[in-house]
Amino acid sequence: MHIPDNYLSPSTCAVLGAAMVPVWATAGKKVKEELPKAKMPMLGIGAAFSFLIMMFNIPLPGGSTGHAVGGTLLAILLGPYSACISLTVTLLIQALLFGDGGILAYGANCFNMAFVLPFLGYSIYRFIKDRIHSEKGEKLGIVLGSYLGINAAAFFAAVEFGIQPLLFRDSTGQPLYCPYPLSVSIPAMTIPHLIITGIVEAVFTLFIYIFIKKVSPGTIYQGEKQKTKAIYGFIMGFIFLTPLGLLATGTAWGEWNIHELKTILSGGNTSGFIPKGMANGFDFKSLLPDYSISGLPEITGYILSAVIGAAFCIILYKVISSLIKNKSSKEDL
Amino acid sequence: MLDFHNEYVTMPDWLMKNENYTPLSDKDSFINKSIFSLLKVLTKIRMQSSYAEERNLVNVNFRVFFTFALIVLLSLSRNPVFVLIVITYLLLVCAFMPTIKMIQILRFSILAALFACIILLPAYLGGNAYSFIMIPSKVFATVMAVSILSSSARWDSIISELKRFYLPNILIFVLDITIKYIVMLGEFSLNMLYALKLRSVGKNRSKYSSLSGVAGTMFLKSREMSEEMYCAMECRGFTGEYHVYKKFNIRLADFFYILINVGIVFSFIIFG
Repeated sequence: MHIPDNYLSPSTCAVLGAAMVPVWATAGKKVKEELPKAKMPMLGIGAAFSFLIMMFNIPLPGGSTGHAVGGTLLAILLGPYSACISLTVTLLIQALLFGDGGILAYGANCFNMAFVLPFLGYSIYRFIKDRIHSEKGEKLGIVLGSYLGINAAAFFAAVEFGIQPLLFRDSTGQPLYCPYPLSVSIPAMTIPHLIITGIVEAVFTLFIYIFIKKVSPGTIYQGEKQKTKAIYGFIMGFIFLTPLGLLATGTAWGEWNIHELKTILSGGNTSGFIPKGMANGFDFKSLLPDYSISGLPEITGYILSAVIGAAFCIILYKVISSLIKNKSSKEDL
Repeated sequence: MLDFHNEYVTMPDWLMKNENYTPLSDKDSFINKSIFSLLKVLTKIRMQSSYAEERNLVNVNFRVFFTFALIVLLSLSRNPVFVLIVITYLLLVCAFMPTIKMIQILRFSILAALFACIILLPAYLGGNAYSFIMIPSKVFATVMAVSILSSSARWDSIISELKRFYLPNILIFVLDITIKYIVMLGEFSLNMLYALKLRSVGKNRSKYSSLSGVAGTMFLKSREMSEEMYCAMECRGFTGEYHVYKKFNIRLADFFYILINVGIVFSFIIFG
């Protein structure tokens, strides 16, 4: 799943790298809080562990072998934040010193394998573990978490590949980077992960976990119960999916401006007229017209607009929730 | 009186019988493969730490900087001429390296390019000749550039150069430990894999769970090692801060290296 250089455009790499900066900052801060100084070397040794886990070949039906990534395993054993840092370091060593995965694509690889994989895998594991309080529930959480975690990472890699031909073409229309669209890249990446790699990952994770739990149960990370901050997750997800919005060439249904309205098809013919009230009506000039900021390329403008929009949503959400909190605390008094 | 001389000690019957034990054949290719991939990593790390930094070579910080710049330019370029110029330059550099290293670098880069060709074959058959030519040749050049850097400079010096790029202390600290512990933990698990292989005579059904036991033990061992390491660090007064003390002076080789690389940047501006 390591994306090499030159398959993704430099701007995609930059966007994904920039997306990792807050993740790394949060992870660094959390690790400092969670991990006593005496356990700091654990990060490096955890990275060495995750590097070596990828060296273990596991037999597959049909005689071939495959290897696991161990992202969810690390998150379960060390906690998701430490796992994020350990995997980041592992990926850096692989890219810089072993030539495995690109230097420019490093941000993208980190996004898929050091962010999506451990955090999603761990959230699913905790979600199930916190609800089914038995050993079976825990095992189910491990299997589902590791299976879905690696598949989500593969899916994200596929989307990154798939948006290349749609966003980056030269003047003759030839794709500049990965030439396969989403319709090819998604099945090509996800099917092998759904039927082979995912199963390898789940089985290996479960076996190692059972072993460690039997031998030395005290070493496993004891995270606090998860608070669902799904809203942040959703917002983040949408920011990254916004470039997809560029792919739909038309304007969203019902969001036509008056000139577009004239060319709208009705029953096979263009409507050819502008409703009177609209023609002379109020024309709202927004701060970020058409989600693009003048002087910037369209994609950058689009993503910036998305980030600004998302930031605005979060601010609004926080303001409203603090107002509600204040109100309820006053009522309590 | 007993006559000891006439009494013979006879061997028990079962010891005299011919035993025809042929161990059942078992598939253990996955253990062999695991051993091989571990050995490969360990040899690579050992090989590169065994050679001393060559004196006449170009300063590592220039090499790190220009390798990164080259990768960015390659990725941005749309002109096959520029890619060709870069490949020519890299092949030249490669040609002056020791033969073993040169073969390793070339083999690795050619494999990466071939892999790209296979992936892009359907696109070529669909009429997209641009990607089929450009992507594999760019992959070839990029992989070669990174391999030249990683096999001509000691890894600890590459990491210490990262400090100049304002990487935080904690990351350099973690990177440093990681490489050292890949070797230590790698050797440790290699021995466990040998043991597993030696002890499995005939059919061993629990080999699979033993493999996860090896990995699990590796984790527990890593915990132990990390605690020991912290104690050792504390004893020696290490606070986790790194300082670059190397003197920075430009030699003749550096001058030529910079000149060539500036030339490449110019050719990028000309050809695009």
